[in-house]
Amino acid sequence: MSEENQVEEQPKPLILQKLETNYADALLAQDAARGTVVVVIHKEQAYAVLEYLKTDPELAYTFLVDVTAVDNSQMESELMQFDYARFMVVYQLYSYQGQGRLRVKVPVHENDLNIPSVTGLWKGANWLERETYDMFGIHFDGHPDLRRILMPDDFEGYPLRKDYPLRGRGERESFNFEKQNV
Amino acid sequence: MGLDFGQGAEQTDGNIITTTIDKVVNWGRKNSLWPMPFGTACCAIEMMATLASKFDLSRFGSEAIRFSPRQSDLLIVSGRISIKMMPVLKRIYDQMPDPKWVISMGACASCGGVFDTYTLIQGVDQFIPVDVYIPGCPPRPEDLIDAVIQVQQKITSGASPKGVEAVYE
Ligand code: SF4
Repeated sequence: MSEENQVEEQPKPLILQKLETNYADALLAQDAARGTVVVVIHKEQAYAVLEYLKTDPELAYTFLVDVTAVDNSQMESELMQFDYARFMVVYQLYSYQGQGRLRVKVPVHENDLNIPSVTGLWKGANWLERETYDMFGIHFDGHPDLRRILMPDDFEGYPLRKDYPLRGRGERESFNFEKQNV
Repeated sequence: MGLDFGQGAEQTDGNIITTTIDKVVNWGRKNSLWPMPFGTACCAIEMMATLASKFDLSRFGSEAIRFSPRQSDLLIVSGRISIKMMPVLKRIYDQMPDPKWVISMGACASCGGVFDTYTLIQGVDQFIPVDVYIPGCPPRPEDLIDAVIQVQQKITSGASPKGVEAVYE
């Protein structure tokens, strides 16, 4: 793909043109990874941009493929690029209108883990955001039911954070039969 | 095939057999184990193969798979058990009527296998008594058949299940 790009100047994807005209100040970075357009959006405008991506008739990213997060605490280059934001919340979108795939990333600082929930835009975000909350401790404001989804309810800590030990902090040995609802 | 009630049973002339009531009961138990499959991961695929026509566990009298623990006396734990799943497994074990036997199938159920992580039970025997362990990842169907035969041998020998021993200890 990258070779092709060099040979003939390809026009800028429609999504980037549109974002640059409408949300230039929200667009922190743009990239292309294996044919997928990647955009990094400022958290303050994340919801507005995602809503625009879904509702704009030409773009129509109506399918939310995935919501997840990345803990960049050991990725010095990423940290420096985005103002030492520890987490990156990642939305994978798909448009059936011919725009194909799009990856939207939103940097989230450790001291402010709140980010607006997109369950109002895509119903399918419900469990995906719960998983992201369960694994990384990101709080999705406005989520109808933000509980742990994979780990037991009384679990402490967020296991996919890089500082979480692989063998846990003793949960394996000390978990409580009585406290769990079977 | 003659009736094999084990040692101590004698067939006198004709149609009279002298034996003990325990031996007859155990003979019945051994040949009609009703397994409760607790398949949570890849090992369960091998368990299904064991139950299906090619390996056919019913040759050894254990074809009546029950998905209700209240109707079964052999628990086959095949797969990874997470700390969230363990209370469920414990409850299913508790619901099975005595006497009951437990087979821990595969590395994961027996010791956590390669998943030495925060969420996985490192061996179900920490919480429920296990009679027969099967090594392997996954074990072959023959290994599971062998384990069932080992359980049968335990029953014939009159040994109590691990669970009963644990109660009386
Ligand atoms: S022992 Fe191997 S085959 Fe069995 S559940 Fe574990 S990983 Fe899967």
